[in-house]
Amino acid sequence: MKNIWVILKREYTVRVKNKTFVIMTFLAPILIGLFYGGSIYFATKGAEDNTLKKIYIEGNQALCKSMDKSFDNFSFIIPQKNTNIEKELSEEKIDGWLILNDLDLRFLDSSQLIVKNSFSLNTKSSLNTFIKTQATKILLQSKGITQATIDSSEALGNISMVEENELGEKQQSSTEIKSAVGLVMSLVIYMFIFIYGSMVMRSAMEEKTNRIVEVIVSSVKPFELMLGKILGVALVGLTQFMAWILLSFTLVLGIGKYFNIALENSKNLPNTGGKQEIIQSAMDQSNILESIGQLPYAQIITVFFIFFLGGYLLYSSVFAAIGSAVNQETDVQQFMFPVSMPLIFGIIIAQSVVFQSPNGELAKIFSMIPFTSPILMCVRVPFGVSWTEIFTSALILYTTFFLMVWLSAKIYRIGILMYGKKPTWKDFAKWIRQ
Amino acid sequence: MNSYISVENVYKYFDDKCVSNNISLEIPQGEIFGLLGPNGAGKTTLIRMLATITQPDKGTIYINGEALSEKHIKQIGYMPEERGLYKKMSVVDQLLFFAELKGYSRNQAKEEVKFWMNKLEIVDWAPKKMEELSKGMAQKIQFISTILHKPKFLILDEPFSGFDPVNADMVKDLIIELKNQGTTILFSTHRMDNIEELCNHLAIIHQGEKILDGKINEIRQQFFNREYALEFIENENIEYDHNEFSLIQSQINNFGRREFTIQLKENQAPRDLLNHYAKYNNMIGFKEKIPTIHQIFVNKVTSKK
Repeated sequence: MKNIWVILKREYTVRVKNKTFVIMTFLAPILIGLFYGGSIYFATKGAEDNTLKKIYIEGNQALCKSMDKSFDNFSFIIPQKNTNIEKELSEEKIDGWLILNDLDLRFLDSSQLIVKNSFSLNTKSSLNTFIKTQATKILLQSKGITQATIDSSEALGNISMVEENELGEKQQSSTEIKSAVGLVMSLVIYMFIFIYGSMVMRSAMEEKTNRIVEVIVSSVKPFELMLGKILGVALVGLTQFMAWILLSFTLVLGIGKYFNIALENSKNLPNTGGKQEIIQSAMDQSNILESIGQLPYAQIITVFFIFFLGGYLLYSSVFAAIGSAVNQETDVQQFMFPVSMPLIFGIIIAQSVVFQSPNGELAKIFSMIPFTSPILMCVRVPFGVSWTEIFTSALILYTTFFLMVWLSAKIYRIGILMYGKKPTWKDFAKWIRQ
Repeated sequence: MNSYISVENVYKYFDDKCVSNNISLEIPQGEIFGLLGPNGAGKTTLIRMLATITQPDKGTIYINGEALSEKHIKQIGYMPEERGLYKKMSVVDQLLFFAELKGYSRNQAKEEVKFWMNKLEIVDWAPKKMEELSKGMAQKIQFISTILHKPKFLILDEPFSGFDPVNADMVKDLIIELKNQGTTILFSTHRMDNIEELCNHLAIIHQGEKILDGKINEIRQQFFNREYALEFIENENIEYDHNEFSLIQSQINNFGRREFTIQLKENQAPRDLLNHYAKYNNMIGFKEKIPTIHQIFVNKVTSKK
């Protein structure tokens, strides 16, 4: 036991004292924030076609008249009699020529938009929606309903989902937030396993290639060395993780405070539509906050740590065995790929099936398989998973870990002293039997 | 002879290949024991079993009368041929780590590290990282890490490789000092001069089998086949008369002298040889040709092939 502690202490201090560790601990949350913020920004804003589209409209008089204005990024113009539309289109003076030649506005199938360069999917669909809305308004007006009546009859907002528990208490439920929480947790586990698992692997490889290992195994059992290494790196990961949580918490609190001040200020604004919108968005926010507040936190945190640690321990023991067996970095790939397959598979399952049916059969099966359960359990837990299921899955996971450590130790014990030829799966099997 | 280490009929197999075939050795207490063998002879396999890294498939190793097991780890110091240290760790952290692995408490470890760093005058190196040190310096640290815990049995596999002559002498002196303090030392090397200089006993291993062992003087005597060397100042005008003796070799040696190697027959004594050749007044030398360990080694290993 003392030896495991000495090894663990070395693995931990060497890594935590490392400059890269300190920099990454402070920089990673910022980088991750920038990365996600950036991708969300580009997904919503950056890719969108924001250029103003000049479009000539012709055909149905009533419809043309109702559209003769600007909407969103479109500027609709009724052309002069002598305009050479085709020429202007080919010279790209205008972006489109919309011919609304339908007599019956209920069916817009024969209307055409002639363009030189195709519009994006989003642009086309928003144009389509706009034309349909205008057509509907004209149809309603033709049936004697006034513009004012139409405007005041439009329904706004979204329905909200409320969950009722066994005690009959109703709670705000947000599928989006649950999915987000689950997905973030599973991604964190996925990253943690890869980053720290390969750290264990490199550490085993370093000892082998630097020829330190023979000196060490003359003092400690290979099993102790391997376990000390795995636990030491786990502690490094947990330290980093705790630091990230604290940092994020501080950041979130800071941002929250800033937004609260902004909200307070907005209440003092004159009574305009702007204020209405702010209040609406504040209400949305409070609903979201309520949903976040009502997640089963005790369960989520417990499950996260149990499976976070279990998943890492299971995979890192396999990674340690691989690191002990190979002689150079380039030999790693052939073993890493098949070993990390279940993990990647877990993420795919998590994203597709679980979101469609978090408590379905497939989700349940894969959250029992120890190589995918850390990811699947974490995705499912915000939706509510029974403690029996969690306990069974954790039991399977940790039993498999102990079995895997035992097998890996057998490979490790021989692998670290084998130099020269590149090992094969057959060698692994042989070393386990020895 | 009081044996500290006894290897009794040890076998070790890799797959179906026998890499240690019925090896028995007695390593006397407080002696330096030389282990010789060509590459791939099975020295490392035997050494790893002695260092408790692997176990024999058959047979037993005893240390001070007890069957060797993991509980003896702390009494053993092992410096493998393929050795290294953590590049990113400082000298002092590295030494403390090894001392703690050998069972020292943090404070004891600090005391020991301080003692050895002072003794070898390397206190200034303490905060340096291993990657900043030269190969010779690193070897010194490696040596300290091996003996830091005062092992009773020390295994040194090619300890001088990588040392310049000055550092090699320093380590040699340390080895002798440890021997004088009662440490039993197993010394594995290819360098016969080191063996003859340091060891009293040796064993030669070849193709997994022990082909020779014993006290070095006795072995050399055993391989002495009554050959003598006679040395003359070279003079082309002299005709030598060898009729009674069997001349094995006649050559001009490194010093430009004429040297005859003569093997005595059963009924001849060294005095007869001396009497016969003394008449040539250019004779300046006469000595027994006791084979060196190198010659015995080459002889044994090639005859086995």
